[in-house]
Amino acid sequence: MYIHHHTCISPQQTFEHADVETLHESADNKLKAKEPVYKGIPPGILRRMGKAVRMGIGAALPVIKQQSLIDGIIIGTANGGMEDCIKFLNQIIDYEEGMLTPGNFVQSTPNAIAAQMGLLNKNKGYNITHVHRGLAFENALLDAMMMIKENPGNNYLLGAVDEISAYNYNIDLLDGCFKKEIIVNKNLYDTVSAGTIAGEGAAMFVVNDNAENAVATIKAIQTIHTKDEMEVSRVLQQFIQQTLPDNEKVDMLLTGENGDARLLKYYTEVESLFDEYTTIARFKHMCGEYPTASSVALWLVCNRHQWPAHMIKKQCKNSTVRNIIIYNNYRGLQHAFMHIVKYKC
Amino acid sequence: MEKEQLKQQLKQQIVQFLNLTSVKPEDIKDDEPLFGEGLGLDSIDSIELIVLLSREYGITIQDPKEGRKILVDINTMADYIAEHKTK
Repeated sequence: MYIHHHTCISPQQTFEHADVETLHESADNKLKAKEPVYKGIPPGILRRMGKAVRMGIGAALPVIKQQSLIDGIIIGTANGGMEDCIKFLNQIIDYEEGMLTPGNFVQSTPNAIAAQMGLLNKNKGYNITHVHRGLAFENALLDAMMMIKENPGNNYLLGAVDEISAYNYNIDLLDGCFKKEIIVNKNLYDTVSAGTIAGEGAAMFVVNDNAENAVATIKAIQTIHTKDEMEVSRVLQQFIQQTLPDNEKVDMLLTGENGDARLLKYYTEVESLFDEYTTIARFKHMCGEYPTASSVALWLVCNRHQWPAHMIKKQCKNSTVRNIIIYNNYRGLQHAFMHIVKYKC
Repeated sequence: MEKEQLKQQLKQQIVQFLNLTSVKPEDIKDDEPLFGEGLGLDSIDSIELIVLLSREYGITIQDPKEGRKILVDINTMADYIAEHKTK
């Protein structure tokens, strides 16, 4: 599956005139998305959109403009418009199940993002939303791969969106997912405590089976559910053996290390599989932790030719980065591996 | 409450309920049509306005024909509220 166009709205300057060398700092353990001025969304529709829907549509419109013929829309989001969902549920309580306004409800379902994209672009093709928590984006990606195999020549809009909602943040904080002490993202990997920092964003890609002018190709993807780091290591080893040609090596390992001391064992085990040839880089200090954060890693792979120093954990001597493995881990249970081959190096 | 005061309050509530981020309450004219040309509201907004009347003024509109006569502009809404409000 080949990637042709890509956009990203994130807590860093990734949308229009991307500059990821400069690291924008987190506040109160949250990395909130830098939302652009949304062009192309009618004001009457924009005012009803929650943040997740806004970010999703805002990121999708530029890539749809570049690739006018889209045969389907495939989105991954764990929570969709959670903030609107909670507003709607609160209304039910506040007004004793009486008259409720439709706006929050319409915007609150996870498939509102893909649905709005379809409506705005008059796209009546395949339209689906995957909501598999920390593997929502990976499942959307797998769906896109299968759709392209079944329908050669088709173009699909593939993307991922999730927002920080006050409700989810508070519940996850109580659950120990986020750090109790306030830190800043530039020091994320120096901390030795449990928990991480919250993040949000949207990344969109146009994918098809046409190699010409592609930015990158997704050669393979694998997901597993396990708490055993040795199992993760074993599956990754098999994955690399199956996907990587015999005469090639992994140039870069891009991991979702997130500063949570409890999850470090997975990353340590995975990193131990690679020798001095492979550069190791990290991305969660840029976007924070959220269920579909791996989409930002994929966008970075598509966008970057030079990797900023703040991303590099271990620099190797190879000058070209062609074979990239993305390893992401959501809450020590949901693991995903992607093999990306990058072009135009 | 004086009619003028009621109109000002209503304009603020419309901006808030409908999330009209680019409109200031004082920009809405009393005789400006709410739907179509004018403020440019749509059918989903009409439901939001009916909920506004119910929550803020205790007014229930059951007949759609009646609704069309009330939700014309600020003047018609304020007149109806002044006559029928229960809270």
